[in-house]
Amino acid sequence: MNRQSTGPDSFAAETTVVVSHLTRKFGSFTAVDNVSFTVARGEIFGFLGANGAGKTTTIRMLCGLLKPSSGSASVAGLDVYHQPEKIKTKIGYMSQQFSLYEDLTVRENIQFYGGIYGLSRLQIRSKTDELLHYLNLWDQVDVLTRDLPLGWKQRMALSSAILHDPPIIFLDEPTSGVDPASRREFWLLIYELAARGKTVFVTTHYMDEAEYCHRVSIMKDGRIVELDKPERLKNKYAAKNMQQVFINIVKGKDK
Amino acid sequence: MNPVLPTIIKKEFIHIWRDPQTLVIILLMPLMMLILYGYAITLEMKQIRTAVVDLDKTPQSREFIEKIISTGFFHVTRVDVPYRQIEDIFFRSQARCVIVIPDNFAEKLAGDSSTPVQLVVDASDPNAANFINNYMARINVGFNLQHGAGNGGIFSVEARLLYNPDLLSAYFFVPGLVAVIILLSSALLTSIAIVREIEFGTMEQILVSPVRPNQIIIGKIVPYLVLSFLDGVLILFFAHLWFHVPVYGSLLLLGFSLFVYILTGLCFGVLISTVARSQQVAMMAVMVITILPSFMLSGFIFPVRSMPHILREISVIVPATHFLRIIRGIMLKGTGIFQLLPELGILTAFSILLIAISIRKFHTKLE
Amino acid sequence: MSRIFYLVQKEFRQIRRERAFIFIIFVMPFIQIVLFGFAVNTDVRYVPIAFVDMDRSQTSRRLLTAFCANETYTYSGMAATEEMAKSLLDIGKIQIAVVIPPHFERDLRTGNRPQVQAIIDGVDGNSAGLVLGYVGQIALQLQKEWLPDTGMPDGSPPVGLTEIVPRMWYNDSLESKNNIVPGIIATLVTMITAFLTGMSIVREKEIGTLEQLMVTPVHKNELIIGKTLPFMVVGFLLLNVGILAAGLIFGLWMKGSLLALWGFGLIFMLSTLGLGIFASTLAHTQQQAMFVVWFFALFAMLLSGFFIPIENMPRAIQLVTYLNPLRYFMKVVREIYLKGTPVIYLWKQALFMLVFGVVMILGASARFQKRVG
Ligand SMILES: Nc1ncnc2c1ncn2[C@@H]1O[C@H](COP(=O)(O)OP(=O)(O)O)[C@@H](O)[C@H]1O
Ligand SMILES: [Mg+2]
Repeated sequence: MNRQSTGPDSFAAETTVVVSHLTRKFGSFTAVDNVSFTVARGEIFGFLGANGAGKTTTIRMLCGLLKPSSGSASVAGLDVYHQPEKIKTKIGYMSQQFSLYEDLTVRENIQFYGGIYGLSRLQIRSKTDELLHYLNLWDQVDVLTRDLPLGWKQRMALSSAILHDPPIIFLDEPTSGVDPASRREFWLLIYELAARGKTVFVTTHYMDEAEYCHRVSIMKDGRIVELDKPERLKNKYAAKNMQQVFINIVKGKDK
Repeated sequence: MNPVLPTIIKKEFIHIWRDPQTLVIILLMPLMMLILYGYAITLEMKQIRTAVVDLDKTPQSREFIEKIISTGFFHVTRVDVPYRQIEDIFFRSQARCVIVIPDNFAEKLAGDSSTPVQLVVDASDPNAANFINNYMARINVGFNLQHGAGNGGIFSVEARLLYNPDLLSAYFFVPGLVAVIILLSSALLTSIAIVREIEFGTMEQILVSPVRPNQIIIGKIVPYLVLSFLDGVLILFFAHLWFHVPVYGSLLLLGFSLFVYILTGLCFGVLISTVARSQQVAMMAVMVITILPSFMLSGFIFPVRSMPHILREISVIVPATHFLRIIRGIMLKGTGIFQLLPELGILTAFSILLIAISIRKFHTKLE
Repeated sequence: MSRIFYLVQKEFRQIRRERAFIFIIFVMPFIQIVLFGFAVNTDVRYVPIAFVDMDRSQTSRRLLTAFCANETYTYSGMAATEEMAKSLLDIGKIQIAVVIPPHFERDLRTGNRPQVQAIIDGVDGNSAGLVLGYVGQIALQLQKEWLPDTGMPDGSPPVGLTEIVPRMWYNDSLESKNNIVPGIIATLVTMITAFLTGMSIVREKEIGTLEQLMVTPVHKNELIIGKTLPFMVVGFLLLNVGILAAGLIFGLWMKGSLLALWGFGLIFMLSTLGLGIFASTLAHTQQQAMFVVWFFALFAMLLSGFFIPIENMPRAIQLVTYLNPLRYFMKVVREIYLKGTPVIYLWKQALFMLVFGVVMILGASARFQKRVG
C-alpha cells in the first residue's frame, strides 16, 4: 500500500475503547485471559493471532454479544456489562461469518440493514445510491447476493454494517478467503474510514495486513503478548516483516 | 477391499458421536413416544357420557336403562332432561349421546310390535358415533336375547377371538406405533445428511477427493442403519416388556424385517436429501411426506380395506403399510417368512429403487 | 416500529424466494385434505369372511346369505374344516370364519338350540369388536324371522323386541371426512407455523446472520415480532387455503362463523409461534430444532382428539392433553365447522388458548437472548 498513514500521534488522544483485565471463560477453559488495552479515536487497531487465540471472543465481548467473565471494558464511553444495547448504536460489526442474506438481492440487503438501524426511508434511498455507486454495484443491484463474487460480497457486508455511520467499527477477519486484489481494495476502504475519523478494530491472520495497521496487538492462547506499532515490533524482533515477527512470537523465540 | 468407504463411514460415526445432544434425542425420543402414545392411542370407548330422556317412567323402562348402565359403556351424566335441551347439551359437550325412551315403552313391549328407542348421537365425531351406535346395538341384542324369543333365542352364536382374546388396543397399536416411529426417525436422520454438507460447503471438499457418489451415499447410510437398528430393537424390547405385546413368531425374522424396513426409511431420507435445496426444505418434506401418510394410510389406525380404491393403491407405496403387516403378523400371530415374502420383497425393492434414484440424482446435481 | 416493518418485509422476501414454501402453503393443504379426508374411516366394511358349513341345509344356506347380504362382509369362500378356516385366518386371508354345526336345521326345528361359532381375528381389537356387534345383529334378525317356524313351546308369550333407532346429529351420513377435514386444517396450521418459525431463527443462527442482527440496536421484542408476524400471516393464509380446499373438494363449509374461526386461529397461533421460538433457543442446529418441533407436532396431533377421542385415553394421559394447545383449537374448529356452535359456548377454549399463547410467547422471549454463546 502506497499511502502511509500514521494515525493519531499520541495515545493521549481521545480513547474510544478501554479494556482492562478482560477475561472470558467457557467452562474451565479460558478463551480470553486478562487482556488490557486502549484504542484511540481514528486509529486502525490490528488484532492478530492464530486461529483459536481468542480474537473473536474479545470482539464479541466488546460488541455486547458475550458477557465477560471478569474485568471491565467500555466502548465509546459505554460499559459492556450494563449498556450493551447503547453500544450497538455506536458500532458497526462485521462478523467472521458472512452476514448478508444470500437469498436477498443487493438492494434488499441494504434496505433491510438500513431499516433496522433506524434510518428513514429517504436516508435509505440516498445511502443505497451512494453505496452502489461507490462499490460499483449498480449493474448488480437486483442480483441475489449469493451470486456475487466473494470480494464484492465482503465489501458489501462492510458497507451494510456501517450504514448508520458509527464512530467505531469492528471487523472480524474481513478478508479471509479473498484474492489479493480484493484485499487491497478492502484495505483502501478501511483507510478511508480511518481518514474520516472512524476507529477501526480489525482482526486478521494475514501478516502483510498487519503492516497497514497503526498499532497491532498479537494474541496467543487468550493473552496479548505484544502490543505496539508494526515498525517498533519489527525492530524489536529484528525482523524484515510482520510475518517474521509473528513466527518468532508464536515459536516463543527472542523472549 | 476399498479403503475409502470405511473412512467415510468412520467420519459419519464421529459426527454422530461428537454431538451427544442429538444422539440422546435420537435414541430416547422414539422411546418416549412409544410409551406415551402406546397408552394414548386406543379406540376403545369407555364411559361414554350419556344423557337419558325417559318419557315412560315405568319399571320396564327403568330396567332397560339399568341394563344399559350395567354394561359399563355408558356413563349417564344427565337424566330426565327435556327433549328440547338436547342441543344445548351437545353444545356444552355434556354428553355424546342421548337415549330417548318413548312414553308408551312398557305398553308396546308387552304387545307384539317392535318398540323403538331413540339414540340421538352427536355425530360430529362420526367414528365415535359409529362406536356408540354399535355398542348400543350390541346391548340391545343382549337385552332381546334375554328377554324375548324364549330365553336365550332359538340358536346361539359363540364368538371366539383369536390372537387377541381380550381385544386389547395395545396389541394392535403398539406394533403399529413401532412401525411408524421407526420410519419417521430413520427418514429424518438421513434426510439432511447430504444437504447439510452442501449447505456448509464441506461436500465440495469431499467431492474433489476421488470418492465416488455411491460411496458417499452408502457412507451416509451405514452409520445411521446401525444407530436406527439399535433404536428399533430398543423400542421393540419396550413394546414387549412394558406393553406385554407377545412375540409368537421368530425373533430372527423380526430382526431381519426390521433391518430391511429401516433401510427403506433411510434410503427415503437420502433421496429427499439429494433433491432438496436446503436443510429446511428437506426436513419439511420429510415431515409432510412421512408423518401423516404413515399414520393415516398405512392401516395403523384405519383399516386399509375400508378405504376407497385409489387410497388402497396409494397405501401400497407407503412403506409402513408393509411393515405393519409384517410386525403384526410376526408378533401376534406367529406368521412365518414364507407368508411374509411379498411384503419383505416390496420393502427390499423400495430400498434398491430409492438408492438407485438417489445416486443418479446426486450425479446430475453435481454436474 | 419501522424496524419491525423491515424485519417482516425481509422475511416475506425470503419466503417468496423459496418455491418449496409456496408449494407447502398453497398446494399441500389440497393434497392432504383429499388424501386423508377419504382415508380416515373406522367403520368396518368388506371384512373377508369364510364359512364352514357342516349342515348344508336350506337353513344353513339362508344364514350364509344373511351374512353375505350385509356390506360389512365380503364373501371369500368356503372352508371344508375348522382347521382350514383357522389357517386362512393365520395368513390374514380372512378376518372371520362362521362355523355352522352338523344338524343345524334339524336342531333348530326341534328346539334344540344349535350353536353357531364365529371365529374372529382379534388383532385389531376395534374392528373385531365391531364385527362382533354385526354378528349379533344379524343373528337377532334371523331369530325374529325363524321364530314362527321353530318348535318352541306353544304356550310361550308373544315377544316385543326393542329396536334402536339412531339419530345422527350434525353429520347424519356419518362421513368421517366431515370430522377429519377440519382436523387436518388445524393440524397443518400447527405443524407449519411452529416449524417455519423454529427453522427460520435457527437457520439464521447457523448461517451467522443472527449474530449480525444481534449487534444492531434492534430491540429483542422487535426481533421476536419480526420473526413471528410473517409466519402468523403464513399460518392465516394456510388456514384459509384449508377452508377453501375443504369447501371446494368436499363441499364442506363451516356452519358457524368464519370470523370466529379467524379469531380463534390467530389466538391459537400464538402458541405455535411461541413454540417455534422456544425450539430455536434450545437448538444449535436445524436438525435439533427439527426434532423438537417434530416431537411437539406428533404430541399435538395425537393428543388433540384428532382421530383418537380424548375420552378413550387413560386418566393420566387425559390430564396431559390439557397441556396441548391443539386440543382446544381442534375442538373449536370442529364445533364451528360441524355444529355451528355459538362463540359463547367456546369461551373456555379461547381462554385456555390465549393463556397458553401468552405464556409460550413470554416464556420463549425470556429465553431468547440478544447474545451468543
Ligand atoms: N461458545 C463457546 N464455547 C466454548 N468454547 C468457545 C466458544 N467460543 C469460542 N470458544 C473457544 O475459545 C477459543 C477462542 O476462540 P475464538 O475467539 O473464536 O478464536 P479466534 O477468533 O482467535 O480464532 C477457541 O479455542 C474456541 O474453541
Ligand atoms: Mg475468529
